[in-house]
Amino acid sequence: MRIFQSILPLCLLFAGGFAKKDSYEEFRQLSQRSSPLKLNDATYSSLTAAPRNHSVAVLLTALETRFGCQLCQEFAPEWEVLGRSWTRGDKAGESRLIFGTLDFADGRETFISLGLQTAPVLLLFNPTIGPHAAASPEPVRYDFTAGPSAAEQVHSWISRQLPNRPHPPVQRPFNWLRWASTVTIVLGVGTALASASAYVLPIIQNRNIWASISLIAILLFISGHMFNHIRKVPYIVGDGHGGVSYIAGGFQNQLGLETQIVAAIYGVLSFCAITLAVKVPRMADAKTQQVAVVVWSVILFLVYSFLLSVFRVKNSGYPFSLPPFM
Amino acid sequence: MAVETPKGPALGYTTESTRALFRVVILCFIAAAAIASRLFSVIRFESIIHEFDPWFNFRATKYLVANGFHKFWDWFDDRTWHPLGRVTGGTLYPGLMVTSGAIYHALKTLTVPVDIRNICVLLAPACSGLTAFATYLLTNEMTTSPSAGLLAAIFMGIAPGYISRSVAGSYDNEAIAIFLLVFTFYLWIKALKLGSMLWGALCALFYGYMVASWGGYAFITCLLPVHALTLICMGRYSSRLYVSYTTWYALGTLASMQIPFVGFLPIKTSEHMPALGIFGFIQLIGFIEYVRSAISGRQFQTFLVTILVATFGLGLLGLVGLTSLGYIAPWSGRFYSLWDTGYAKIHIPIIASVSEHQPTAWPSYFFDLNFLVWLFPAGVYLCFQELRDEHVFVVVYALFGSYFSGVMVRLMLTLTPVVCVAAAMSASQILDTYLSWKSVVPAEEQEAPKKVRGGLRGVEKPNVGIYSPLTKVLVSGSILVYLLMFVSHCTWVTSNAYSSPSVVLASRMPDGSQHIIDDYREAYQWLRQNTKEDAKIMSWWDYGYQIGGMADRPTLVDNNTWNNTHIATVGKAMSSREEVSYEIMRQHEVDYVLVVFGGLLGYSGDDINKFLWMVRIAEGIWPDEVKERDFFTSQGEYRVDEGATDTMKNSLMYKMSYYNYASLFPPGQAADRVRQVRVPDQGPVINTIEEAYTSENWIIRIYKVKDLDNIGRDHVNAAAFERGQKKKKPTKKRGARVLRVD
Repeated sequence: MRIFQSILPLCLLFAGGFAKKDSYEEFRQLSQRSSPLKLNDATYSSLTAAPRNHSVAVLLTALETRFGCQLCQEFAPEWEVLGRSWTRGDKAGESRLIFGTLDFADGRETFISLGLQTAPVLLLFNPTIGPHAAASPEPVRYDFTAGPSAAEQVHSWISRQLPNRPHPPVQRPFNWLRWASTVTIVLGVGTALASASAYVLPIIQNRNIWASISLIAILLFISGHMFNHIRKVPYIVGDGHGGVSYIAGGFQNQLGLETQIVAAIYGVLSFCAITLAVKVPRMADAKTQQVAVVVWSVILFLVYSFLLSVFRVKNSGYPFSLPPFM
Repeated sequence: MAVETPKGPALGYTTESTRALFRVVILCFIAAAAIASRLFSVIRFESIIHEFDPWFNFRATKYLVANGFHKFWDWFDDRTWHPLGRVTGGTLYPGLMVTSGAIYHALKTLTVPVDIRNICVLLAPACSGLTAFATYLLTNEMTTSPSAGLLAAIFMGIAPGYISRSVAGSYDNEAIAIFLLVFTFYLWIKALKLGSMLWGALCALFYGYMVASWGGYAFITCLLPVHALTLICMGRYSSRLYVSYTTWYALGTLASMQIPFVGFLPIKTSEHMPALGIFGFIQLIGFIEYVRSAISGRQFQTFLVTILVATFGLGLLGLVGLTSLGYIAPWSGRFYSLWDTGYAKIHIPIIASVSEHQPTAWPSYFFDLNFLVWLFPAGVYLCFQELRDEHVFVVVYALFGSYFSGVMVRLMLTLTPVVCVAAAMSASQILDTYLSWKSVVPAEEQEAPKKVRGGLRGVEKPNVGIYSPLTKVLVSGSILVYLLMFVSHCTWVTSNAYSSPSVVLASRMPDGSQHIIDDYREAYQWLRQNTKEDAKIMSWWDYGYQIGGMADRPTLVDNNTWNNTHIATVGKAMSSREEVSYEIMRQHEVDYVLVVFGGLLGYSGDDINKFLWMVRIAEGIWPDEVKERDFFTSQGEYRVDEGATDTMKNSLMYKMSYYNYASLFPPGQAADRVRQVRVPDQGPVINTIEEAYTSENWIIRIYKVKDLDNIGRDHVNAAAFERGQKKKKPTKKRGARVLRVD
């Protein structure tokens, strides 16, 4: 890879020196081999040099883990899919579009000269000469504000920018591995179940297991797990004084840890109720029973009082409380 | 409002009939409490229809009462969705309107003069009494405890999760639908227990009524098959299940297809497929069971089981195949978004924009259910003790209900019944145990309970009861405290959170007296009195039903949201530059534009706060002309003050909201109290429209769209001339002055 990267500019220099006729053809042939092209400062500037009769879509990204750019990582495979399927679908090069990727590690100068503070940035350079020439030589910028985009979204954006040209559709490579693994797993699990049915069946038919699965699921749902899942809330945040804040302010807000605390509170309260209703009346010894009732009722009372106090944090106007957490 | 709930079988000496009398009296009290707790808004404000959707239902009901059923069925409404119109009769759930129409006519026959509006306002509380009764019946099917049903009824009667959608004036489909939901479930359990065709048919009848009333009927359509499938998987197939399911499905589907809005959906869309699939499956099992009873032989049975599994698999494959070939419509967007929770956000902004389609944070559960929220899992656990067929139903319902309520806040409504049932089961179990004054029967004297295979841990031992009276007092006392807190919580929540009509806003004056802010009705009344009968009003879709209902003027879009493109058109008009918007408004014959602006009062539900949704929905259709990015500053902030982007400042919505606003304040003091920012002293200039009306607190602003200029100038020039600005003339080249010499 390294060798290829060092050869690439050489080739380009060679191409540029040899014949100044059509840099598009050169880049197109390169991109037949691997699209999107991996660029560096030199190739970037020659690819986007001002008199150009082709379009260029360049993704400026920072893939190295030390930058911690999650969006870049998420978008990288989509960009690969888009670049590859576009180049494959447009063998003749009629769309006159080159896909390129410039990583920060290879193109520090470009990032500085463009004054970029954030990544990823997707720029689309329109041709300045030729039949598709645009009025302005400045690139158009794609908007990543809505989070990671799918290849199809970017495809439709690029298609809008390049009217009257072929737009090869996005073709995702068929995921053989996933299919093979799914089939293997299904068959394997089926075989395992069939052969081990003597041991598995009692587990499947065990009422206790089903009861605990149901209760855990219900507790998760009523403590707002789906909200975490959909809104992707942070698990925990700092409180600004170096500490950790467990409860998010506001009625329509919550933290991942907070919901787990609430689920645990609900779990304890439900367990107390179950014990008082089911377990305690079956204790044969009078003394043990009395102790058990007192202990569980007190726990129930305290935890409920705590729950009310937590709720008052969320809803400051809430007037009800129980001692001791007033 | 607190009703004495009976504490277990304490009334041991009374005869059966006295008990029945007590039950009836208690149920009447519960119904009264349920109704009374929903009347806050009527007492505080007046008998008025609330919010948005109810205004359409009210308008449709008036149409039904005035024109009769047949005309209502064929109603084409040309006063909405101008210029498209709406086939209203075929695109609504008529159950609600027909119910109130029937009540109206029944009362008229009895010569009770009553306004149709009062029937509409009070329908939801009246139904809540019935819901409490239906919950009582449903719970009594689950347990033998005499108090569980009554507890469930009072829980259901006053639980805020249900009150939120059924206060007086909230004349919406859910008002009657929850009663029908619970009652259909009761009939289903009854049919399943008895294996009775009659109860199955009754279940189908009420299912049909439910389909006619609310789109949420799909919940029943999916829950009953899941229950049936679970029972089959547990090896509990019985002829009772066969009879009840088959009766319900056949009759219920026929009944549901009578509603024009539903039509052939039950055999064409994916959300109805589970019911159809289980129907076929249960026929197969029925047939095989019949064959098995006739022929014996172990190998034959194995063979049959194989056939069963294979057919089920093939059926599923066929379903997938038909769906991919397009014979069966895939899950509709709104329904699909319940499973793939990210779907709506990307593909259907109009669904994602509705606040009641947001996921539920945990405080909402506690707010709506209070201590029921932790009694509920305990009740579900109790269901596992016996795990009869009806208990399986509670478990399945609890799992699905809690999942759906987590995804969408409005589905808290469908969760509430099962929470009340399960919580009442656990509460009554505790109360029955600790309020019993019977002396303890030691374990040795009891005959050992039958060993049940696969029972729950911890219930194998015999139930001896509670020894010490002190502990009895302790537990029942604390439960009583929780119950009392529940009642006060429900009252507080209902009074503070769920009783605002949102058409009328209330605020407190410094001296504590109540001040009513009535801008909405003021503005709608202005429209009604000062505009032509057929003046078209453009506003964001939220206000469409209210304009139709209160001002009686045609609107471009309303809360029905059936045509996304038309809504996007309005969104584009609001978010584009004035010149672009003017073209759109001329094309749609708009006469007036209405915006809601809360900046003066600090009313946060105004159009500027909703504006980004308009932009997003418009961007979905015209991605080149409207771009959400342009409404954010380069730092990514959504600003309305001096630093707002040019696109924002030039958008029609911004101009209409802030036009002349700064003139209310001394220079440099103009502030927007919702967004807490200073707005520029030099307000926006508008050319193509003119201010027609602004309500007392500036909540509603109405603009008149100008006609084309009389002498053919464009609007910018004409408006500049009106303002007295001199037209800049290109200075003519003149030669040097020369003295005229004759």
